[in-house]
Amino acid sequence: MIDVSAVRRLSRGALATLLIAAGLSAFSVSAGTLDEIKARGMMNIATEDDFHPFEFIQDGTPTGYDTELVKLITANAPFKLHQDTIPWAGILPGVTTGKYDMAVSAVLVTDARKKTLQFASPIAESTTYYLTKTGGTAIKSTTDLNGKAIGVEAGSAMEKQLQALDAKLKAAGGAGVKQIVEYQGYPEAYQDLALGRLDAVVNTQINLEALIKEKPGVFAMGQPIAEPVYIAWAAAKGNDSLIAYINSLLLAARKDGKMYELQKKWLGASFESMPETIQ
Amino acid sequence: MTGYDVYSIFKGALSTISLSLASIALGVPFGLGCALARWYRIPVLSPLVISYVSVVRATPAVTLALLIYFALPDVGLSLDAVSAAILTLTLSTGAFNTEIWRGALMAFPRDQLDSAAAFGMSRAQSLRLVVLPQVFHAALPALVNEMTLQVKSTPAVAVIGIVEITRAAMRVGARTYDPLPPFALALVLYSLIVSAFVIAQRTIERRREIAGRPA
Amino acid sequence: MSGFAIVWQNRQEMLSGFANTVTLSALSLIFSLVLGAMLSMALNGRAVFPRRLAALYVDAMRCVPFLLFAYFIYFGLPAIGLRMDNWISGLIALILYNIAYMAELLRASWRSLPADTIEAGHAFGFHGLGLFLRIILPPVALAAVPMIGNQTIQIIKDSAFLTIIAVAELTHAATSIQTTYFVPFVSFITAIALYWMLCMVIETGVAFAGRLAEARR
Repeated sequence: MIDVSAVRRLSRGALATLLIAAGLSAFSVSAGTLDEIKARGMMNIATEDDFHPFEFIQDGTPTGYDTELVKLITANAPFKLHQDTIPWAGILPGVTTGKYDMAVSAVLVTDARKKTLQFASPIAESTTYYLTKTGGTAIKSTTDLNGKAIGVEAGSAMEKQLQALDAKLKAAGGAGVKQIVEYQGYPEAYQDLALGRLDAVVNTQINLEALIKEKPGVFAMGQPIAEPVYIAWAAAKGNDSLIAYINSLLLAARKDGKMYELQKKWLGASFESMPETIQ
Repeated sequence: MTGYDVYSIFKGALSTISLSLASIALGVPFGLGCALARWYRIPVLSPLVISYVSVVRATPAVTLALLIYFALPDVGLSLDAVSAAILTLTLSTGAFNTEIWRGALMAFPRDQLDSAAAFGMSRAQSLRLVVLPQVFHAALPALVNEMTLQVKSTPAVAVIGIVEITRAAMRVGARTYDPLPPFALALVLYSLIVSAFVIAQRTIERRREIAGRPA
Repeated sequence: MSGFAIVWQNRQEMLSGFANTVTLSALSLIFSLVLGAMLSMALNGRAVFPRRLAALYVDAMRCVPFLLFAYFIYFGLPAIGLRMDNWISGLIALILYNIAYMAELLRASWRSLPADTIEAGHAFGFHGLGLFLRIILPPVALAAVPMIGNQTIQIIKDSAFLTIIAVAELTHAATSIQTTYFVPFVSFITAIALYWMLCMVIETGVAFAGRLAEARR
């Protein structure tokens, strides 16, 4: 006979080591209402690590419009911020599954997203444009995007807008976009445009203008491909208490002009006629 | 590349090394536990180990990292990025370590267990004093080989935002729009880390050859 | 669970990702095996310079993680004037990387080939490439089948890294579906199930080849 219990203890030990390592930092998953966030003294937020100028990393620390704005408005809040900087692919699913209380990221407000997300008061307004390389480009307007390879971030609102444009081009009798290339982040897409693997990249006007300022002479702004939309932070659907609280802070920052100052600093313009809430 | 960029890639190297060591420190004993569960044919646990090894061996580390970090919150388990990274790497190296330990255990002559029992050793004693030292000796070269492969699979956790060498280099490249210099530095750093393991492996093999030669 | 329904609705995208993974892996396997066999000739050859060069290549690839290598090819090729799309760049990276591993495992298998087989080949008048193709390669390749099977699984797993350079393989498809519909669990579980099935097919194939080798003996 074999002494099974000794081995069982041993294997359990190994399993336990693993689970403890994993479990130590596991926090309970529940869409954090305002009361829960106050009780734990911490709001878990997610930002992207490369979405200049809204959010990016400078010398090892997160910065950009979203990061500075959330710090500004929660300076006197009864909780601290726990900020995770993660790739875009994890941000919205992280909010719907309750891993994060709020996506403090430049989320474009769309009707499809309203079904699963609750948006806070808008923090910016933008239109999606296409971007090309400077000089010698054959793309003069959106109709010239027929038969071209275009890069976009996977799972972004810009991707949906690009798909809609593709459908519109085809409906108008064009060939449609040759290929929509989905990237996990924009840096690789810009790189591929510069290298000539793509004919165009679509992103919001704000992002693209910041890029052109940073890299003059390489890229040229194209035309809008969709209607203007609002940009807002998002919590899980039904988290009204948190949204109401964040809205009050955001609107206060509008009233004393601090939000507009940050917009001018990071986004190059201020948006003073946005609605107070998003239904 | 600025001085800070170089520094950030070196910092990434530190995080690559820590993640590798943590997952090796957890994955080697975890693999042993799983292998013993199969060797002693423990009911429930043994078939569980078989399916774990089969599935995880076939799963890319990238996909496993995405599942653990982005998808487990869906079923109520939310980890921070570092824990998710360690869990991913431990589970993936653990599956390979299980097979290595199991191979060494299969080669172990079971009649030694009977002799140990005849000397009045308890099962736990014979495992600790008789089985493990010999099995460890047999498994060591393969374990070190797997550690080398493990270090090379650490970039997988870059997809969940861990800033190890690869992601640090990616960030620099994304900012400067000149990705080749940071990636060249990253390649050099990886080669240094991996060659440390390769040298360890060759040293062990050489010693074995010398020890194994007839006098 | 509604997640499964969403993934089912998007099965077209998932399956095309799967098809890309299969195609990339199969092409990489074929090319890296053929080119790896050539490299193993250099590794086991008498000429000193080619042998050193081949060993250097193998060692370099063994020290580098695939993702970083893929990035390097992806960004590096345009720097030397070669501009290929993401898919081709990914394929080239997979092939160049795995040539080294295939060469190394064929070399090890060649080493264990009894010397008298080669001598017998010489006696029958086989030399050079003819000797390699007719006498050395068949037993070496057969003996290496389990190792080649393992390496194929490695190729499949490495191909998942190509999601980062926007190659629409299986993991890429799963990520794309989950970021659009917020169904991370079902998307990734489906992807893992498909990877697992693919590896099962390979392991079954290897076992079948093993029985074939037994029968040949």
